[in-house]
Amino acid sequence: MRILILLFLLLSPVSGHAADAVALDSSVFVEREVPAAGGKTKIVLEEPKVVIPGDRLVFILQYRNTGTQSAKDFVVTNPMPAPVAYQGTSDTVAQVSVDGGKTFAPLASLKVRETDGTERAARPEDVTHVRWVLREPIAAGAQGKLSFRGVVR
Amino acid sequence: MLEGNFWAIKNVRLTLIAPLIVATASVSFAPRAEAAGTVAGSTITNTATANYTDAGGNAQTATSNTANLRVDELLDVAVTSADPGDIPTLPSGVNQVASFTVTNTGNGSEAYGLTVTTALGGDQFDPTATSIVLDTNGNGVYDAGVDTVYAAGTNDPVLAPDASIRVFVLSTIPGTSVNGDRGQLSLAAASRTLTGAPGASANGQGQGGGDAVVGTSGGDGSANGAYVVQAANISFTKTSSVVDPFGGSKIVPGSIVTYTLTATVSGTGSLTNVAIADNVPANTTYVAETMTLQGASVTDATDADAGVFVPPAGAVPGRIEVALGTVAASQTRTVTFNVRIN
Repeated sequence: MRILILLFLLLSPVSGHAADAVALDSSVFVEREVPAAGGKTKIVLEEPKVVIPGDRLVFILQYRNTGTQSAKDFVVTNPMPAPVAYQGTSDTVAQVSVDGGKTFAPLASLKVRETDGTERAARPEDVTHVRWVLREPIAAGAQGKLSFRGVVR
Repeated sequence: MLEGNFWAIKNVRLTLIAPLIVATASVSFAPRAEAAGTVAGSTITNTATANYTDAGGNAQTATSNTANLRVDELLDVAVTSADPGDIPTLPSGVNQVASFTVTNTGNGSEAYGLTVTTALGGDQFDPTATSIVLDTNGNGVYDAGVDTVYAAGTNDPVLAPDASIRVFVLSTIPGTSVNGDRGQLSLAAASRTLTGAPGASANGQGQGGGDAVVGTSGGDGSANGAYVVQAANISFTKTSSVVDPFGGSKIVPGSIVTYTLTATVSGTGSLTNVAIADNVPANTTYVAETMTLQGASVTDATDADAGVFVPPAGAVPGRIEVALGTVAASQTRTVTFNVRIN
């Protein structure tokens, strides 16, 4: 599916095409604690140079309506990279899936069935997809930022 | 470097959740990572998809760029002693085996250099480490001539993430050591790629082409083991008391002599198969069924209890025998028996 989308993009001229009216940019940062004045530590986001298991990552998606008309029913879906365990988001519109993207809901209401048949509450590391559903249309020229956090398994 | 929590949404107000069904890219999931973490050299790939409806009512899709991160190699190792406690030994003992386990707690395949230190404080002697041996056959036990002797830089054990190897250190115990002395030794394992302060890194030295980063262990680790000299000694004492037929303590024909034999184990550890045997003295006769062990009677017959009386045979005098089994240090065993003066 993704390959098909990429092919489609490759074959389509970018400028002025309705399909490209919204641009979506994905970036990732590493969250680190660094010493600060007064013996305290502060948390900074760094460009990832060295990444090891246990590192905390912040994934940022920036969208921008580059077209001349508004886009509505705007939904962004981000499959979790396999080596990363979901660690939450501060975006209130975000929902997550623990079943490979079939169903989405707030994490607290999701359940996971264990191999022995028992059900338990879903944990952050069970999350397979993160989704943001924006009710309001994105006006021409408008932009926004979505984010979630993860930790390298 | 970007400071603070700028990534929180501030510039859009998106509080309503619309019940939309959206087709999303299907993804296949790689197997879950191992306990040591994502294997060095793996790539973290992140792509998001936006679906929306354009002004003409057409469904549209926009796919983000792919953000890639390569996971670097974390250098960590743990060394633990595999002995249940101090290793019992004797003065001048050779090839005394101390066992350790070296585990790669990092996320990349790594070679480790092994070293032994015996000059440690807080003990009474320094064992002399004669060789380090790798448990080549993986049975957890030192097999002379089967397991491979370690030579630094030549056959450094290479461990996959989470893998471990048993390592034996063979030592000679000084002849001057005495009972109860402890001698410690330490086995250290160090990542061949890099050791140092946690966070130190080596460009491009990690498995899979990334960097190698020293983990919380410092890229090296060590554990102590200890030998303890356990030399147990046994001493015997024999005392007697006499009761004559008239209630006194004169040694006359018919007097009863009670012999008390005491075995005392000193030192440390224990002795096995301890037995007491004593001949019935000349000119006396054993009084049947008078043997006791720790105050309790034992029969003369050869049976389940510890004692037996062997009757005289010709010129050979009769004797009592009491099997004491294993006696731990600082314990005593007391045996008594009676004879009548002829």
